[in-house]
Amino acid sequence: MAHIHLEDGAFTPFWLIVWNLIAMLLIGAALMMLKREKVPPSRLTIASMCAAVVFAVFQVEVPTPIGPVHMNFTPLVGILIGPELGAVVVLIVNIFSAAIGHGGWGMVGPNSIVGMVEVTLGYYAFRLLRVRLRRSYFWSGFGATAFALTVSSLLVVFIVGVSEIQGSTLSRTETMSNMLVLAALNIATGIAEGVVTGYVIAFLGRVRPDLLEHHRIPEHDHPRPEPTTEAG
Amino acid sequence: MTRRAYSTHVPDFRYITYFAETGSSIVHRMNPWTKLALIVFSVVFVTVVLDIYLAIALLVFALLFYVAARLPIKVIIGWWSMPVLFVVSLSFLYLFTEPGRTLAELNLGGLRLGITGAGVGIMLVLLVKALAVVTVSLTVAMTTRYNYIVHMAYRIMPGVLATVFLLTYRFMFETADEFSDILDAMHSRSGGLVKGVRRSRTFAGIFGIGFVHAFERAETISKAMEARGFTGDLPVTDRLPRPTYKGYALIALAVFVIGVVSYWRYFNINLTGW
Repeated sequence: MAHIHLEDGAFTPFWLIVWNLIAMLLIGAALMMLKREKVPPSRLTIASMCAAVVFAVFQVEVPTPIGPVHMNFTPLVGILIGPELGAVVVLIVNIFSAAIGHGGWGMVGPNSIVGMVEVTLGYYAFRLLRVRLRRSYFWSGFGATAFALTVSSLLVVFIVGVSEIQGSTLSRTETMSNMLVLAALNIATGIAEGVVTGYVIAFLGRVRPDLLEHHRIPEHDHPRPEPTTEAG
Repeated sequence: MTRRAYSTHVPDFRYITYFAETGSSIVHRMNPWTKLALIVFSVVFVTVVLDIYLAIALLVFALLFYVAARLPIKVIIGWWSMPVLFVVSLSFLYLFTEPGRTLAELNLGGLRLGITGAGVGIMLVLLVKALAVVTVSLTVAMTTRYNYIVHMAYRIMPGVLATVFLLTYRFMFETADEFSDILDAMHSRSGGLVKGVRRSRTFAGIFGIGFVHAFERAETISKAMEARGFTGDLPVTDRLPRPTYKGYALIALAVFVIGVVSYWRYFNINLTGW
């Protein structure tokens, strides 16, 4: 959903290098964590399928008066496969998207940072809502997605505002004001995506609860049922 | 080839693969490393260059490259609509907010909206740059065989990334069909994506089924692959030679051009661009 739809040539070389270096550091950290926990091949296959699904969803634009927006289910991916593999999925989706002109090649780094924030916040916010606060699947999914996508929309404004558009004489504040209009639209779409994700999570919780196994409420946290006393 | 695509403006990977595997033009025969270097060159070029005429020159080069690959012009024009949509939608606000000479003005109940020359200029430069890079990028994608992509992926990326990248490429065709089915299901229930948000519960169920199918298919494929000895790395069957002398000459020319335009920008014209 939150995605920098800028093509190559929009950012100056300096900011392009900065954002891509930050993205490389983040993806490097994610790869190191994956190496440490020795990911089984089956999880790689599942992550690849998630990337293919996200890429497919990514390409369908919902037209709005101000510009096109799209859903991407990155918080859902984070909830299902975790932030480390989710970071890999985000990078791969951005590479394929750049190959067909959905965001520039130079934007793979900045867009991956945005996507990694979405999968990480989606995962931890869902965990907090579901495991700690014991909310239902729907509300946990809705809350985690809406929160992650709101933060990432503001991050997009920050990245574009700080980097500025080459050739423009607008100040950083003016650029950010321009971008805030799109951010408002993205946040509204994020809430709609939150509703859809909430229902998807509730649906998955019913038909494939094993996919949400790592977000299961610990059994000892459940109040034990009172022993029934037989009359007579 | 493809059962159907989402729309005419979204490039279909099946179509891309078809051209890559069946073509025999001079660009198809070009070394893939040289072609990759051309993508890097075009990205660096449009990042360094601010002048619209230089950007147009790159667009002309990109179109010649595309024509030399003997790929249909109609296809690339259809696929240009996505970057055009993005550039126009994002630079739209700059039309009104960029300071400069007003070209046209609209009075909406006291609110004056003026389109400035500088705003139009920004939009045009971004548009030309975007089309140039997208054309080079799609030409390379439509002229490079899958086996070479496998080899390059494992040379460029860490193992886990390369594996997920290549598996995603393989799964993309299946999920594209699955997603087309989902869209058909939405339309058959008299809902589009916009209406779908209002009837989100029904459509979330459809998306949910899509995810469940994707997971089940991934688990089945994984079991089949592991039974055949898959441990996380895909086999690289074709070796890829280094670029030829002509390829190295082309890369050297590209580096020279980048050097010249960078010098022009940072040492002659504008030193404060960084």
